[in-house]
Amino acid sequence: MSTTMTPADSPDVESAPEAERKSIGRRIAEHPHVVLIAVLIALILLTGLIEPNYLSFRGLRNSALYAVPIGILAAGQTILMLTGGIDLSAAMIATGAAYVAANQSPEGTAIAIGAGLLVGLLAGAANGVGVGVFRVNPLIMTLAMSAILLGLFTSWAQTIFSGSTRMGDFIRTLGGGSFFDKRIPWAVIVWAFLAAFVIYFLRRTGFGRNLYALGDNAIASRLSGIRSWQVLLAVYTIAGLFAAIAGILMGGRVGAVDLQLMGSFLLPSVAAAVIGGTSIFGGVGTYSGTILGALILGVLQSMLTFLGAGQAVQQMLYGAIVIGLSWMYTRIASSQ
Amino acid sequence: MTTSTADTIAAGSTPTWQRWMRRHGWTVGVWLLLVVLVAWYSTLIPSFGSFQFATIITNGTPWVFLAAAQAVIVIAGGLDLGVGGMLVLTNVATARFMDGQSFEVTIMIAIAAILAAVVINAFVGWIVTASKVPDIVITLGSLYFYQGLALAILPNPGGGTSEGFRWLFTGSDVGTGSNPWPATVMIAIPILVVAWWLGKTRSGLSLYAVGSDRTAAYLSGIRAGRTKIVAFGVGGAFAAMAGLSTTAIAGSGNANTVGGNMTLNSVAAIVLGGVALTGGIGSVIAVVPAGLILFFLSPILTAMGVDPNRAQIIQGVLIVVVMMIAGLIEWRRQRRV
Repeated sequence: MSTTMTPADSPDVESAPEAERKSIGRRIAEHPHVVLIAVLIALILLTGLIEPNYLSFRGLRNSALYAVPIGILAAGQTILMLTGGIDLSAAMIATGAAYVAANQSPEGTAIAIGAGLLVGLLAGAANGVGVGVFRVNPLIMTLAMSAILLGLFTSWAQTIFSGSTRMGDFIRTLGGGSFFDKRIPWAVIVWAFLAAFVIYFLRRTGFGRNLYALGDNAIASRLSGIRSWQVLLAVYTIAGLFAAIAGILMGGRVGAVDLQLMGSFLLPSVAAAVIGGTSIFGGVGTYSGTILGALILGVLQSMLTFLGAGQAVQQMLYGAIVIGLSWMYTRIASSQ
Repeated sequence: MTTSTADTIAAGSTPTWQRWMRRHGWTVGVWLLLVVLVAWYSTLIPSFGSFQFATIITNGTPWVFLAAAQAVIVIAGGLDLGVGGMLVLTNVATARFMDGQSFEVTIMIAIAAILAAVVINAFVGWIVTASKVPDIVITLGSLYFYQGLALAILPNPGGGTSEGFRWLFTGSDVGTGSNPWPATVMIAIPILVVAWWLGKTRSGLSLYAVGSDRTAAYLSGIRAGRTKIVAFGVGGAFAAMAGLSTTAIAGSGNANTVGGNMTLNSVAAIVLGGVALTGGIGSVIAVVPAGLILFFLSPILTAMGVDPNRAQIIQGVLIVVVMMIAGLIEWRRQRRV
């Protein structure tokens, strides 16, 4: 309630330069991405101050590699948040997909990747059935799915998937390898393709607009003929696929897969979407913002590593920064 | 049409016990479910005595407190992913400072920990109201912060507490025993006080008002922001109680406990306890058996000879099925109206 009060008591104090400054503020408010880019550049420069070697292809490459799994997982979170949903099973789906892909690696690359993606497809579709058809709260549905998957894979790890936990060579190159004299990671290229697809899909396709419509006003979208259960089923399935891709890439980067592979990426994936301006209540957000959010978190990780901060300080700073950035973004975006 | 009118008229003239059942049916149902599960469990294991009974209640205490913490906040229309982190933080801080102290000092430390948790979590609630950022995001940040702070306070598992303090929550100086009463009393007193506060006082009822319709509550003169801050503070107190009971049960602190998982359990527990995630509906009384049931599932399944990993699968499926049934009941009720 406090920000709605400010216009009422400010007019008589407001002077000319103040008004001018306000119009700049308004311009920024109309393009909140500008602020995110500024924060990203400031963070990169700050990290460069701490560790001069960071401002090189090699240094930035590490941040990018950290941002890739967050960014791809956050693609799923973004499209789900647009419909008012969320996927807390994303990290577990990703881990499961990587586990299966590693297990099938001796069978050949195509089968390994295919089997991994199938895990994402099935788990995502199951989420979609729960949320779309049975109207289970997304938080609960995906939370339970996460527990179910963890149980399934822990028992399968000793039975039907007791074989290899090492990724095949192709996946390892894809996940951790680079080209151009080891400067540009392949994983970033995969992410770029996926990002182009998601941005096109959200902006230019009818299905993409359905997501915004559904998240903005579920009743209005139903009355205008959108079958929400079909949209939700599709969008949860796609999010599952994205999670699987992130998991396979991360598995390829690490080389050997275990069931803790992706756990630490769940909360950052939600944070990236939120920092990027996607509303958790649905209807508002873009993937380009989420990409910036993921990159900011990637640079932040590098900075915290260079600072030599212990894990304790890293987590505290991480938490404080997530709160600070989202607060700042909401302030700016709502000041128009 | 005619049937629905008849239903409405009938609803107007229903005897009070039917109306009472409609309001508290879910609470009664969850308590009955707990009783049935305990009875069933007693047939599954060779001997069921006060020791088993005490073990269930004692080890379920953190789950109950954390579920209550989440319930108070969700009733006020919020959601706190940080409660699990607060549990770990309190566990670690108290275990570190209580190590080697006398009973009186440990009690002082416990009270100080609860007060600190109230202030810290109320501050988080203030950030939520002042920033207008969704709760889930801010408390995601606070979860990280608590977990990091816990790690800074006690990098390696350790610490300790006094024997008297352990007895207070577990009925035994060593953490396990066959006396269920201390744990029962420790659960009952705070829960009953908060249930009374929520249901009978002006400030408690305003949590329901803000949770069900924030604008309407604001327009009718309730300070919506302050109410939410109060809810976060009370939630912080319960989360701290969960941490204290963990210290008493384990006799030590462990900052590597994943607070996020405990948070997720608390969310599942309140859903089972009939608290609506949209806010404004539910009671802390129903959350007590729900927390115990969720904790209790794994011993039951183990007693049935199910391997622990399968138990986790079954637990997840059960939560989804309960949610589907709850959704179905709600859908039918809405159709009738």
